[in-house]
Order: sequence, then C-alpha cells, then structure tokens
Amino acid sequence: MIAVWKREMQSYFYTPVGYVFMGVFLMLSSVIFYLQIMRQRSSDLLTFIGTMSYLWMLLCPVLTMRLLAEERQKATDQLLITSPVSLPGIVLGKYLAAVTVTLVTVALTFVYVFVVMLYGQVFDGELLTGYLGFILQGCAFLAVDLFISGLCRTPVTAAILAFGMNFALWMMDLLVSAVPASLGKVLSFLSLYSRNEPFLMGQLSYASIVYDVVITCIFLAAAVYTLDARRYRGKGA
Amino acid sequence: MIELRDVSKRYGSVEALREVSFTAPEKHIVGLLGINGAGKSTALNILTGYFPPTSGQVLVGGVDMLRDPRACKRQIGYLPEKPPLYDEMTVRDYLRFAAQLKDVKRASIPAHVEEIIGLTGLKEVRGRVIGHLSKGYRQRVGLAQALCGNPETLVLDEPTVGLDPRQVSEIRTLMQQLSLEHTIIFSSHMLAEIQQMCDRVVILHRGRVVREADLDDLTDTDGRIHLRVSIAADETRLLPALKGLPFVRRVRQHTSAQPGVTEVTLDCDADGAGRGDPRVQLFRLLAGLDAPILHLAQERDSLEDVFLRVTSGEEAAAV
Repeated sequence: MIAVWKREMQSYFYTPVGYVFMGVFLMLSSVIFYLQIMRQRSSDLLTFIGTMSYLWMLLCPVLTMRLLAEERQKATDQLLITSPVSLPGIVLGKYLAAVTVTLVTVALTFVYVFVVMLYGQVFDGELLTGYLGFILQGCAFLAVDLFISGLCRTPVTAAILAFGMNFALWMMDLLVSAVPASLGKVLSFLSLYSRNEPFLMGQLSYASIVYDVVITCIFLAAAVYTLDARRYRGKGA
Repeated sequence: MIELRDVSKRYGSVEALREVSFTAPEKHIVGLLGINGAGKSTALNILTGYFPPTSGQVLVGGVDMLRDPRACKRQIGYLPEKPPLYDEMTVRDYLRFAAQLKDVKRASIPAHVEEIIGLTGLKEVRGRVIGHLSKGYRQRVGLAQALCGNPETLVLDEPTVGLDPRQVSEIRTLMQQLSLEHTIIFSSHMLAEIQQMCDRVVILHRGRVVREADLDDLTDTDGRIHLRVSIAADETRLLPALKGLPFVRRVRQHTSAQPGVTEVTLDCDADGAGRGDPRVQLFRLLAGLDAPILHLAQERDSLEDVFLRVTSGEEAAAV
C-alpha cells in the first residue's frame, strides 16, 4: 500500500495534475476569500469554508480521474495485481495519495485564517469544527469519485462521470424542497452537502462524522469490489 | 515449479480455456505455443494471478494461488504482452517502485535495482523517462520489472513481438542467461523462437492443451516416423506397392534429379503396424520387387510438422 501511495504522490507531481488541482483550488478559494471576507470586511470563516466546499464538486474528479481508469486504459494494473499487494491495499494506497494532496492544499488555505486573525477575531473551536467537516466532506467526495474512476476505461470519462455524480449529489440537495416531505427527508439525510451544515454552524456533529466516514468506506469497498468483479469476468482491473 | 491443474476460464459464454493442465519444471524454459486466440495470454494471466480461473488450480511451488496469492505472486515475475510501464516515471524510479511492490527490503532496494539495471543493459537509460524510450528499451524495462524481487519464475507473454531482429536477438540472449537461475514460461506463435529457446513445449489450441512434452520428445514421439528413401525403380511400379504397406500412412513423392530413381518420404507407424521395424519391412518389400535402395534415412518430425498437425486437420477437429 505504501509503495502505491508513494507512486501516486510522485505521479501527481511528475505530471501537471497535482499542480493544476492545487493551483485552481487556491485560485478559486482566493476569489471566494476576497468576495466573502475581504470585500465584506467579515471574519466569518465558516461561511467562507461552506462556499469553498463547493470546490470539491468541481475539483475532486481532477485528482481521482486517472487513479484507476488510467491503470485500466494502459494495462499497468497488470503490474499491481500480479504483485503481492492486495486489492484493498491498491485502492487504499491510491485513495490516501489523493487525500494527502487534498490535505496539503487545505493546509495552504490556513493562510486565509492567518490573514483574518491579523485583522479580526477567530473562534478556534468553530474554525476547527468547520475545517474538520470540510476535510471529511472532501474525503467522501474523493471516495465517490475514486469508485467512479474504477468503473471507467479512460480518465476523461471518469472525470466527466465523477463531475456528473458530484453535481447530482448537489442537485439532490436542491430537490429537497421540490419533492414531498418524506422523500425530501431521505434526500436531505443522504446529501453530502446537508450533512455538512452542522459543521458550518460550529457544531461537532458525530452523526455527520459517522455519515462521512461511512460514505467513504462504502465507496472504497465498492471500488475494491468493482476491481475484483472485473478480474472474475476476466477483464483485468 | 508451477503447475496448472484442470484450469478452465469462461468469458461469459465463451470458453477461453478448457481443463488446461501443464507443468513448468524448475530452471526450464517452457514455451507456450498456439495460434492467435488459442488461449496463451489467458493461461498466463491466470498463472500470474491476474485473473482467477473459473475452475481448476494454479500451484506455485506447491502453494495454491487462490489460497495464498501473496506467497505465490512473490515467486512470479510477469512481463505481459504490453509491458506495464508508467511513462512519466524514470527507469530507476519505476524499478524501485516495482521492487517495493515485490516486497524487497527497503535497505536493499537501491543495490537490487542497480543489479537488475546492469543485468538487463539499462545503465545508459536509467535516469531517462520511460515515455521517451524506444520499443526495445521499453521491453527491457518490462523484463527488468519482472526480475524485481528475484522471483523463481518468469512469465513472459510474447516477449519479442514487435522488436527488430537485433532487439529480438538481445532479448533471447538475455532469456537464455536468465534461465540459468529462473524457470521461464513464455508464450509465442513463432515456431523458430520456441525451437531455439525451449526445453519443453506446451501447444494450446482452442483453449485446450493438445501437446505437452520436452522439445526432443515432442518431435520424436507421437507414434510416427518418417523414412526418406531413394529407390532405383520406376515410380509407376513402386508407388502402389508402397501405399499398400499396412504401416504407411502417407507417401510424399519428391522430384528426383536422377532418371529412373524415385525419391519418397513415407510417414509410418513407428511399430510397423505391429509387425516390427518398418525399415525391415520396407527392405523386404523392395527386395521382392527387385528395387534397390540407394539411400534410406529416418527423419524426425519438425516442431512445425507437429504444430500444424495438432492445430489443423483431424487432430485439431477432435478438440
């Protein structure tokens, strides 16, 4: 697993993928920071984090698109699968590499926090809770998109499908008010965005933590299952 | 030693392998021969744990691949038909990654990789990005990857396909060198390559093993011998008599440079249809016809003869 993680980390920064993700994320978050914090003369970092969370929808597919789809396209999965590494080890190694790049990027957004601390007041507990939710939500999106990468033959297809899936998750949130209340409750319960709301109000919601962790585990397990099922069908991973 | 026992593989309704069994003894070069679509790559993919079989067993050193895949995979280095290379990595980084995957101890990885680089002739390109290498070098990097972890068995799927003659020769030399330390199983549809390289041959046809034998036995047995005979007699008198012999399956006539001499090859049952050495029976027949034998030589089946016989005609139809 560590070998796979290291290779993926190298790959992110041997190719433009890692730089594009970090660059675009930081550029867009800077724009949000300017519009919501600097321009408004506000120190409401939780609202800022809440808006930043929409970047997951857009940018997680960039990190995950080639993780499994490209291995399949270039048949490099033959090296991984015929080596003494388990399928969960392969999937976890790749997932953790994507999470690592994400965490480094999130760490760079602390610059905004320092700027606010210079000119205003920051509530540590609220801020940490907000960031915890933000990171957990990002990790869940990465797991969903990694699973989609495992379903696809090419990275481009994986990126488009992952973006579509992320968009559908966001749409699900918008549909809550347009459908009968009972269905709305279900959609709201399942929505990655609604589930993040307690964090954005400074509440450490165990239910939301469990939800994000469960979603992550389910989609990682589904990715492993997809690869294994394809092996049994005789089409490699 | 690697052994396949009654391995079958289905792709939906297509049966790619049907109860395939063969053994690769230690430090032998075993050639897997078959026409395109015979099931060679499927057999190798199953052998290396890339696919599980639909039924049957793969035993690596006596260990079942399904029971302990990790232990089995540690003993196998695999070069698929298309080498699994990451174009953005340098040769050295790629081989270090492969060594990590193969559970080589961290401290010994640099020395191990350098040794393999030396063995496979990659010193000149070790710092270069794989995507910029020629096909020959890419094949070598693929082979180097298979050597990482010093596996007992190397499985090579058409390792020389698409290479120029010089590269083919280099890869073959390297394989022969490696066979001193490793068991090598490789697939090919090039008969000359198999004949030149292998100790043992497995011929696959329509997903079945139709022959498995040491190369010498394969071309020597099969219950047939071929007698090439030059006879000082007219063919019109001779041919009906030769065809009438009970042990003669086929008479192939050759053009003779000398007038009045008939040259033929007789495909015979080795046991003379149960009546003893066919050469003795032939001698008696020709003596009775007053047809002196000018030359008699026993020829063996070539690999090509065997291959064509088992992959076409009656034997193939029976598969």
